[in-house]
Amino acid sequence: MNPLGNKLFGEVDTTAMPPLPLRPKSMAINGFTITTQKLPILKAEPIEKMTKDLGVAPPEMIFGDNFVEIEHEGTPWKITFNAFDALDRVDKSGESMLQVAYSKQWQRSREKTHEGIKDIVKPFDWSYSTDYTGTLGPGSRPFEATTRRIPTDLLKRPDPIMFYDDVILYEDELADNGIAMFSCKIRVMPARLLLLARFFLRLDNVLLRLRDTRVYIDFTTGEVIREYQSRECDYETVRQALACTRDDVPAAMRDPTRLSDFLPVIETRLERTVLKSNDQSESEIESIPLSGPS
Amino acid sequence: MSDLDRAIAQLRACRLIPESQVRELCYKARELLIEEGNVVCVDAPVTICGDIHGQFHDLMELFRVGGDVPDTNYLFMGDFVDRGFYSLESFLLLLCLKVRYPDRITLIRGNHESRQITTVYGFYDECIRKYGSANVWRYCCEVFDYLALGALVLGASSGLEPTGPALETTSSTMSLDDSELETEVLNSRGEVTMSTYRPKQPRTTSPLLPSLSQAQPATSSSANPTSSSMPPMRSGWAGTGATSDSSGSYSTGTGAVLCVHGGLSPLIDSVDKIRLIDRKQEVPHEGAMCDLLWSDPDEIDGWGLSPRGAGFLFGGDIVKHFNYKNDLSLIARAHQLVMEGYKEMFDGGIVTVWSAPNYCYRCGNVASILELGEDASNGGTVSRSNGDYNRSNGGAAAAAAVVRSPGRRYRVFEAAAQDTRGMPAKKPVADYFLTQHPYNTHNTPPPTASHRKPMHFCLGPSLA
Repeated sequence: MNPLGNKLFGEVDTTAMPPLPLRPKSMAINGFTITTQKLPILKAEPIEKMTKDLGVAPPEMIFGDNFVEIEHEGTPWKITFNAFDALDRVDKSGESMLQVAYSKQWQRSREKTHEGIKDIVKPFDWSYSTDYTGTLGPGSRPFEATTRRIPTDLLKRPDPIMFYDDVILYEDELADNGIAMFSCKIRVMPARLLLLARFFLRLDNVLLRLRDTRVYIDFTTGEVIREYQSRECDYETVRQALACTRDDVPAAMRDPTRLSDFLPVIETRLERTVLKSNDQSESEIESIPLSGPS
Repeated sequence: MSDLDRAIAQLRACRLIPESQVRELCYKARELLIEEGNVVCVDAPVTICGDIHGQFHDLMELFRVGGDVPDTNYLFMGDFVDRGFYSLESFLLLLCLKVRYPDRITLIRGNHESRQITTVYGFYDECIRKYGSANVWRYCCEVFDYLALGALVLGASSGLEPTGPALETTSSTMSLDDSELETEVLNSRGEVTMSTYRPKQPRTTSPLLPSLSQAQPATSSSANPTSSSMPPMRSGWAGTGATSDSSGSYSTGTGAVLCVHGGLSPLIDSVDKIRLIDRKQEVPHEGAMCDLLWSDPDEIDGWGLSPRGAGFLFGGDIVKHFNYKNDLSLIARAHQLVMEGYKEMFDGGIVTVWSAPNYCYRCGNVASILELGEDASNGGTVSRSNGDYNRSNGGAAAAAAVVRSPGRRYRVFEAAAQDTRGMPAKKPVADYFLTQHPYNTHNTPPPTASHRKPMHFCLGPSLA
């Protein structure tokens, strides 16, 4: 037994937190409560726990405490966007694994010298691609498939912005082979809100991928529309398309909004639900006109 | 005041120097760096720093916390550029300091000190933006090719001189007669937030070291594993394949500390092999030089391939074996972001030091620097027989000094205050929408997205 014992060790004082807002930001409007929280990346211990719970190593910049939440007061309806649930939908089997651009060249050069090292450590989709569209709270009224689209015209109106936030859930530099990022933006106007949850992947010289989830809520009718859209294209095609424009190509390659124009849509899903408040009758909700895209 | 001093003063104020001066500076730096070996030998005391990534104001904070050059002897483990807004100012200042005080600052190469990486991650764009041409980028890249690949810190003390004042939460900073301060963590105000002790090395150095059995190291994950088991029969000096030891018997000596940006390579089983690399080139996509700048330690056995399809991971057994074989007590590396600023792994055999607080201006992490003290037990003279120096025969009797890890003082610091940055804070929310809102003529929304691109963040063209 060590004669000195453990008592010699000083107490660990967590080093002072950076000057960032620690309390969640919140706003109540027309029967909805919108909450966002932005904290620093996780420390070693929570990262270890998350690694164990997820079964794969989380991204380098993991904002595990961050979230965006929209809660309806009249019903138990709630939708949350958080890093853990987003990462839980990443392929952990390694079946959809991508390889960096110079992987073949690298591996060929290694075949002779390191025959012993063949095992890929913990194969999984290290691009952290996810089709996460948010987590519904228990008892929430489920979404149903619809053809009704998000009313873009209403969102283009210059209504005052009552609440805005931009919350990163995770980000990874892919060991300097590009960027993978999941972020949420939310904008609340007096009569409606729009949330964009976006997964963006740029694997240099290989591929570009964008997976957008938009949640639109109309406060007056209680209508919620969720649109999921997946876009993808190989890197070189996009680069060449950009080269024909007058854009600054390197800058555009970092800008998902700009890139979105150049990425063909792979998949679209539209879902809808209507939240009825206590003071709203069933018939009123049913009477909301449904109109498909024209 | 010399031109160089003037350039230093100007860069410290975050103002760039003219292109002609950059060219001259880079030329001088190359002349200096070409004389350095692939593995630079550095005497303790030294302060070891990790990634900077163009976060100039945080580099100033680092100097405030760690002391200025030349008062403090610095070793920077690469990744000076890219990602931050001030790669040029940061790198040019470090380079000026290197040319002005070559013996007080050591710069080794990170994976971002490369043409290919800097064209993608910001440094190239910054050079074009700030100088109007790629000339300065080219000068800097030529310097990158001459940067050393690693450093070997010699003569570090096993115990730290305690610093104060301690925070009230610190339960113990007392130094017992038979124990020494092994690690200490300080915040940016110089207050001790954590300290660990271990038993002192017994002064006897008989080959079997019987006294060790009564002096197990204090229970700590970071205690040196080698002192708890049978001491290795070692005779050469740290980091060499030498078979003799000129150090004689002393009590606070430690093995050498290898500093490298990324980590180990399966092609490199000794420090001497690093010395054989032809380093004056762009960082290749494979091979030993690539591995040293790119690989990562991981909780695995042996070597592994990264799931990305390129790059190596190495486990604790690899580190233990490498350290044992090379008489190292510690590997210090950078390359990976850690929220706490530093992370020791594998029973303290390797440490990651990260020196970019609030990385990319959004991660909210703290940063740290690692101070290694000077071993004063030999009257302050560092005895060595490193590969670059003499390898005198100290005789077999002096053979048994146990490789102890050095005392490690981490100074943890936060990002520089926003108002010292001289850059605009993030646009307030309302402003963002006022200036970004494209639809001031809301009666005529664009029918399609074809030419009038909706600039609004939430609205992809598919929605229009």
